[in-house]
Amino acid sequence: MTTSDICIRGWGAVTTLGWSAEESAKNLIAGLVAPAAACLSTHLINHNYKAFEIPHEGNAMDKSWAMLDCVLTEAINRAGLSQTEIAESCLLVGTTGGLFIRNEYEFTETVRKNPDKESPAIVCRNRGPGEVSDWISRKYGIGGIAMTFSMACVSSSHALVVAAQLLEQKKIRRAIVVGYEPLLNLTLHGFASLLLYDDDKCRPFCNKRSGMQIGEGAAAVILEQNETSSPGGAKYKFAGGYLFNGTDSLTSAGVDGELVQDVILHTLHKAEISGRDIVAIKAHGTGTRDNDLSEGRGLLKLFGEKLPPVVSLKGALGHTLGAAGAVETAVWLSCCEEGIIPRSFGFEEVDPEIGFAPSPSNTPAAAGAYLFTFFGFGGTCTSYLIIKE
Amino acid sequence: MAMPVLAASYLGPALKPNSDEAWDEALLPLSADALVQEIMGQPLRRAGRFIKLVCCGALTCLKSVPPEDLKDKKIGIFLSTGLGNVDEILPFIKQVFKHDGGFPSPMQFANSVSNAAAFFLAKICEVKGVVLTISQEELSFESALWLAQSYLESGAIDLALVGGCDVFTPTVADYRERMNLTADNARELAMGEGSSWLLVGNSSGKKLGEILAVEFPDKLMSPQGFSRSKIIGKNCAEFLSATTGNAGISLTGVRPHLLAGFRVQEVDAENWRRLGWIIEDYLPSCGIHPTAAAFGLARAMLGPENAFYIHYNCQGSGKQALVAAFTE
Repeated sequence: MTTSDICIRGWGAVTTLGWSAEESAKNLIAGLVAPAAACLSTHLINHNYKAFEIPHEGNAMDKSWAMLDCVLTEAINRAGLSQTEIAESCLLVGTTGGLFIRNEYEFTETVRKNPDKESPAIVCRNRGPGEVSDWISRKYGIGGIAMTFSMACVSSSHALVVAAQLLEQKKIRRAIVVGYEPLLNLTLHGFASLLLYDDDKCRPFCNKRSGMQIGEGAAAVILEQNETSSPGGAKYKFAGGYLFNGTDSLTSAGVDGELVQDVILHTLHKAEISGRDIVAIKAHGTGTRDNDLSEGRGLLKLFGEKLPPVVSLKGALGHTLGAAGAVETAVWLSCCEEGIIPRSFGFEEVDPEIGFAPSPSNTPAAAGAYLFTFFGFGGTCTSYLIIKE
Repeated sequence: MAMPVLAASYLGPALKPNSDEAWDEALLPLSADALVQEIMGQPLRRAGRFIKLVCCGALTCLKSVPPEDLKDKKIGIFLSTGLGNVDEILPFIKQVFKHDGGFPSPMQFANSVSNAAAFFLAKICEVKGVVLTISQEELSFESALWLAQSYLESGAIDLALVGGCDVFTPTVADYRERMNLTADNARELAMGEGSSWLLVGNSSGKKLGEILAVEFPDKLMSPQGFSRSKIIGKNCAEFLSATTGNAGISLTGVRPHLLAGFRVQEVDAENWRRLGWIIEDYLPSCGIHPTAAAFGLARAMLGPENAFYIHYNCQGSGKQALVAAFTE
């Protein structure tokens, strides 16, 4: 088993299923999962796009701040970090849209408050992706280096891998890794322009799949290099973190599955773990033709008939884009704390080109290694293991 | 660990590589097409200016290294940007918000994705592996340099291509707001742009100098302190002394150069001279942009030999960053 001593000390998440990782996990395990629906937030100009929205009564900006506050508070409380420990921590954020939502919110509010006036052109006032970490650092008093990864769907999964490497090198003492992705007109319309939506539902690895559905989410995961127990008594180690950028395709990891297989092999090798020791796989599983084909083929090539249960969380949470790494990790950890690995939602029929069905039912969260994979725009791949001890 | 600098390139608003050619804020942004043709030998028709500038700047740097020095090397790309590809995002979002329901272009959206530029660059350079897009407002470049140093130390890569790119996007008022610039937290200078790069790492080839250290002090600087040369001078002197001491380099008889970031409102040159420093004011050559530090450091690496540099930068909220370098 792995020699990694990178431990996960705390985590928190806000998803469409709840305003904490724990609530999200409980609803996921209980199957209390609503399909993606038309979104209610007033900053969205087209309510026809179905997405997994986080319910909130306030406006879009208030919700954004509340999401960040909520995940950091949950993660810090779970970790029991003192103010001194927070101050000496580093902050790594993964986000694509960042606080671009402010531009959209201010614009729609201006239009709403001036119904008789001609609308002004939307302006871009946000300070780039790094603004999120600046806000978090100042609010929580995080004094270490702050860094933002803006790398599409692998933003926060890359941030987790980089954090683990910096810890291994003893460059930093502790990393607070945050993924943050509010619902944006920019991304909703963008993915629509790419014809990547499934209007019906998100069906990862299913023969009937025809695209993704976006989810709103935020999460924080706290990593450090020592032995730390979670409140439930279980210990979680982070191992084998590997990131890779391919250049063959802007939009996929290659449908032959070779790159996916290679990336996972690197992770297993780095963590000194055999594929036989994998308890379950938290796949990226977006529901798009290409992603699921490349990932499915890669997994089958590597594991063959001994493929462990494969779960995509996107049928329940949606694709939270740059936040996916942190969000899916945090929710998975809370599922582990409940002792259950959730089933994969949205699946109906095996795709003969993929050749397997994702996990159809909840299974016990046994001790052992859980494999996480993420693939994104720009040929980006992330893979890592979380070891439940 | 010091990082040998094998190559450097700097590109400012005039779009003349490794040159301080004059430019006029009122005429920005200039078309990058001629530059693309010159450096890449073919147009990048579907790419926006941000992607074009990233590729041109990085290739200028790489092309200055003999190909044999790059052969069989694991290269990592660390692209830093404060604002990213705003030039692609703005037209896309304006199309989305059109009253009659816009039909935004899928190509425009694809190019607006934050790491599209890094992908294009990696593809052109045939770099696979570690390719990261890092953003931290005006400390983006220093953050990328610090991370590149960690990757080099880990052995995951042999060489790191580290660059900073931000593009001028009208209007000036909007640009200034995006950068959190006010009358009391930055120098009064024209807004600019740039794509400036360093190739760092271990190689048997000739080097321009070394990046000795990158540091982010814990203590925040208040906006009122952004020009306090006594405090900044003390910080810079201590940093220089520590980094050269660690590297076993003597500072006897050396007059170090100060490269001041744009948050330093007023450089009291006389006072700095009294403290033994030479002021190297690079900002008029590139204008204010989030990754101007990359321009200043790359320009310094191509400057006079046997010189010591400290780049001092400060984020609007007070976080500081120092980079120590010397040229051979």
